[in-house]
Amino acid sequence: MKQYFPSDYLPLLVQFSAAAAFVVVTMIATHLLGPKRNSKVKDAAWECGIEAKGDARTPISIKYFLTAILFVLFDIEVIFMYPWAVNFKELFREMGSVIFVEMLLFMALLLAGFYYVIKKGVLKWE
Amino acid sequence: MLSIILLSVSGIASLFLGFNKSRSLLMPATLLFLLVALAVNLWDWNVPFTLSSAYNNGMMTVDKTTIVFSAILLVSALLVIPFSQNYIDRPQAQPAEYYAILLFALVGGIMMTAYDNLIMLFVGVEILSISMYVLAGSDKRNLRSTEAALKYFLMGAFATGFLLFGVALLYGATMSFSIKGIADYTNANVGNLSPLLYVGIVMVLIGVLFKVSAAPFHFWTPDVYEGSPSLFTAFMSTVVKTAGFAALYRLLAVSFTGLYDYWAMSIAVVALLTLVVGNITASHQHSFKRMMAYSGISHAGYLLIAVTAFQNTSQDAILFYSLAYSVATIAAFGVLILVADKQQGSEDFSAFNGLAKNNPFLAFVMTLAMCSLAGIPLTGGFFGKFLIFSSAFAKGGLNWLLIGAILMSAVGIYYYFKVVIAMYIREGKTEKIALTGLQQAAFVLSILLTLLLGVVPNLFADLV
Amino acid sequence: MQLTLLCALVPLFPFIGFLVNGLGFRNIPNSAAGVISTASAVASFVVSVLLFSNFLSGGSQPFTAVLFDWVSVGGLKIQFSYLIDQLSLLMLMVVTGVGSLIHLYSMGYMHHDEGFGKFMAFLNLFMFSMLLLVMGSNYLIMFFGWEGVGLCSYLLIGFWNKNVSYGDAARKAFVMNRIGDLGFLIGIFLIINTFGSVEYQQVFPKAVELFKAGDSTVFWITFCLFIGAMGKSAQIPLYTWLPDAMAGPTPVSALIHAATMVTAGIYMVIRSNVLYTLAPDTLEIIAIVGLATALFAASIGLFQNDIKKVLAYSTVSQLGYMFLALGVMAYSSAMFHVMTHAFFKALLFLGAGSVIHAMGGEQDIRKMGGLQGHIKITFLTFLIGTIAISGIPPFAGFFSKDEILMHVYEHNKLLWALGVVGSMMTSFYMFRLLFLTFFGTFRGTKHQHEHLHESPLSMTVPLMVLAVLSVFGGALGLPEVFGFNHQLANFMSPLFEHSKTVNALVGAKSALPHSTEYALMFVSVMAVALSMTAAWVLFVKKANVPASDETLDGMTKVIYNKYYVDEIYQAAIVKPLYSLSEFCHSVAETAMDMLVESTGKLVNVAGNGFRQLQTGIVGYYVLAMVAGILLFAVFTLRSVLF
Repeated sequence: MKQYFPSDYLPLLVQFSAAAAFVVVTMIATHLLGPKRNSKVKDAAWECGIEAKGDARTPISIKYFLTAILFVLFDIEVIFMYPWAVNFKELFREMGSVIFVEMLLFMALLLAGFYYVIKKGVLKWE
Repeated sequence: MLSIILLSVSGIASLFLGFNKSRSLLMPATLLFLLVALAVNLWDWNVPFTLSSAYNNGMMTVDKTTIVFSAILLVSALLVIPFSQNYIDRPQAQPAEYYAILLFALVGGIMMTAYDNLIMLFVGVEILSISMYVLAGSDKRNLRSTEAALKYFLMGAFATGFLLFGVALLYGATMSFSIKGIADYTNANVGNLSPLLYVGIVMVLIGVLFKVSAAPFHFWTPDVYEGSPSLFTAFMSTVVKTAGFAALYRLLAVSFTGLYDYWAMSIAVVALLTLVVGNITASHQHSFKRMMAYSGISHAGYLLIAVTAFQNTSQDAILFYSLAYSVATIAAFGVLILVADKQQGSEDFSAFNGLAKNNPFLAFVMTLAMCSLAGIPLTGGFFGKFLIFSSAFAKGGLNWLLIGAILMSAVGIYYYFKVVIAMYIREGKTEKIALTGLQQAAFVLSILLTLLLGVVPNLFADLV
Repeated sequence: MQLTLLCALVPLFPFIGFLVNGLGFRNIPNSAAGVISTASAVASFVVSVLLFSNFLSGGSQPFTAVLFDWVSVGGLKIQFSYLIDQLSLLMLMVVTGVGSLIHLYSMGYMHHDEGFGKFMAFLNLFMFSMLLLVMGSNYLIMFFGWEGVGLCSYLLIGFWNKNVSYGDAARKAFVMNRIGDLGFLIGIFLIINTFGSVEYQQVFPKAVELFKAGDSTVFWITFCLFIGAMGKSAQIPLYTWLPDAMAGPTPVSALIHAATMVTAGIYMVIRSNVLYTLAPDTLEIIAIVGLATALFAASIGLFQNDIKKVLAYSTVSQLGYMFLALGVMAYSSAMFHVMTHAFFKALLFLGAGSVIHAMGGEQDIRKMGGLQGHIKITFLTFLIGTIAISGIPPFAGFFSKDEILMHVYEHNKLLWALGVVGSMMTSFYMFRLLFLTFFGTFRGTKHQHEHLHESPLSMTVPLMVLAVLSVFGGALGLPEVFGFNHQLANFMSPLFEHSKTVNALVGAKSALPHSTEYALMFVSVMAVALSMTAAWVLFVKKANVPASDETLDGMTKVIYNKYYVDEIYQAAIVKPLYSLSEFCHSVAETAMDMLVESTGKLVNVAGNGFRQLQTGIVGYYVLAMVAGILLFAVFTLRSVLF
């Protein structure tokens, strides 16, 4: 087994600091270099000519979150299929049709979840 | 490990059962699922160790210890479920989801008792914890319940971070996620261990100690236990704790036996601190439920003594104590749920005033539960404490811890008997509380178990 | 095998009685409940007698009845088994015999009470636990019984639970007992650790092999066990619960707080006599604590006005004598006193119960007087009890107490002198109680006077039986100085085999010449007679009545019209005694209570402190956790870091 020393990680450190430095330097640079002309009207929030009222952070319907979360969920689950598909031939040779049944089971679970979601009315948009 | 698969599937099944208009089917179905899971769990009793290990690709182990731990979790769940009746009868309740999440939580719990690989430990902890975050906040209209869920989530996420960080460091130091692999590495490289390993152990310990609410990582416990619906508090204080101790002991016993001198003292100090904080604060509460939260902390302290003792008998002691403690705690919460329902939701000691008059059975169940928790002989709790203390005595050098523990158990008498006095001596009006058949059965079972554990402990001590 | 069955039956009967009455006390009529529980007590008495005769005919061989394996963890195996030997048989006779009589008495005394069935069930449960305590063949079973009797005592003191202060008394008794129990438990752990077993028959031979007298391990074991005995047998400083325990019904006071439970500590020390003989330092402590308790409690008893409180302090004081005897290694004498005390103290308590019954619940002796004509049987039996406890020959108490004092004299003459002073006080307060209650004129209300009546037969029969025992109980141990063979001591001598190998003094015949023994007896009898006469002069001839609480300062007024001599007497003897008694009662007892309770206060304060930490603010929790994590990490990593 190869023994690693902290010094072996030095390139990583350099990479990190370079990335961080780029971000910081760019932000500071644009701030300094860009022309600035401030006035009260110019700094006010633009609201179609009508004066701004109230708080910008109003509650949003939970449906947005649910939809977004569901998207992420299924998205990630589907990613599992890529490695499976890429290695399918080899796996099939090794393990036989079990490998196909396993993916069917996985998909069945996903579909069960999907059915539950629809049946619960999560995706209904009123 | 068929029980894990079975529980997962039945969780999904329970979700679909929820589409049925009638809710009456849900509880019996869940109980049935649990019974089947328990049977399947015990089915593996004689399966040789290596075979099952290969079957699980070195991720989990099935042996007698894990089976008994899993059985304790399942029995606890079986005892808790009958008391959900009042809770799911409310119009805004979502019983199918509650039951499904409970079943999923059990999957996590069983993983924590049987893991062979730190990844599985992490996955188990997360399944269990996330389920509990949701259940803690399941009473959505109740501000305290929501607050409990949020606090639990924030603090829990914090601790999970430590756990994961620790796992990563352990991997970094030993190049293995397998707990046996880590043990092999540490045994082979004695005296030449990377500091990363030591830091990793500390991090993992912090993560697990948080889950079992040991001081000084206990701050979330009282608020969360008090705010959550009593039903789920009962589940949390039994199933989560038992699973947590199973995980802790397994990790230390398999991976870090050789490093005993390194971690033992810290755990011993934490145990004493936990005992002192738990017992002494518990004696100062007005709310029964909050008292039970602190008492839960103190019991974690007793269990930690057994972990510190680290004898052959320690694991038996932990098993025995967990069972006795879980049964008694659930019985106490069962009575609390029924009483609080009749007292406009009050969970103070005063809610129990005069309970014995019209509800002698409930008062008796509560008295027995309190006796067991206090460790009075002829109840399971006594032998639990006895086994733990004697294993620590056998270890030697822990007398300071034992004296502290024994003193603290005297403090325990004081607050456990507060409720007994309220029930039998103080004046108060509680009308007759009707019990469902299942609730009666659960109470009778818990009485029987408590007494059996207390009178013929050998019946259980020989199991493992 | 048959013998095993018999042994198993002894505690089983009361347990069945408890189950039947306890589970069905709402449905079983009172008459049946009383019969069931009394029958179960009597049945276990009969079986005990059978066991006893079997034991004698079988050549007095100890016998262990193994029922089942109980706990086996690692190397430690504990069986559930009973040991039948001289000591457990004697205790069995006392517990089941006196217990049966008290069950019978309760049928009369409690029959009006709505919780009668429950009461009888508790009594049975108590019998069961007490039998476990005395029959068990190892320390763990003893501990079970030990805790069980504590629990029953708690349940029975608080039996009239409508009254909150009774409930508090019950809780006090329980908590104090638990403090003692912790000592006991630590003692058991030390025994396990040292000997690897808790069986008496394995521990004792091993103790003799392993240790020499004065070894510190044995000291700690015995000292911890003695802390347990202090709690259960009400010795300084854990005695204050016993007077408060008088809140319970009178039969309970007789059974638990006089005849049986409180002697559990004595039993335990006699049972472990080998260990104690190996620890002379502990014995010294026991002797001093015993004597201090005896004197202290007796002095408080001098001027109590509640009939049951007087008896309670008297019990504490007599227990002190028993410990004094243990402290000078007169184990069999202590057992002798346990037995005679069980007879006469049960008698006195039951008699007091009968008086209270007749007076319609009045317990204040200042409101009694002249009862002798109205309740003859009670009076006569109470008189016998009083004579017996005072130590006037030839009643039972004389022999046992004199034997103790004789052994003490051999050990240390100062202790003996103090012991005689204590017995003077005993006879003074007992005769004071007798005279104030039964002599003179009636001081109660007219209504009470019309209602005075003798108790029913179920109550007077136990009184008569106990009176007979109090008269003749001394026959068990007639001393050799009168030309008898000390039967009890001979019977018990096999128990002390191991102790004898350690210290030849144990169980040895007294080395004192007979003339000295006679002299000692003469002195103590004269002393007792003197204080009896003093009581007679004060409370019969002068018909003094203690001032009621409201006019406590009016003491001088009461004696204003008496003779001048009287005033001197009052000033020289009664007043100092009174103030001593007052001092012990109010100041010292309060101080002792505070000592015990301050521990509780400390817990309270700390609890409040910890409670304040729990603010409910998440940010704060996270901060606290981070601090905790840092401490934990640094502490754990200390060996790696530094």
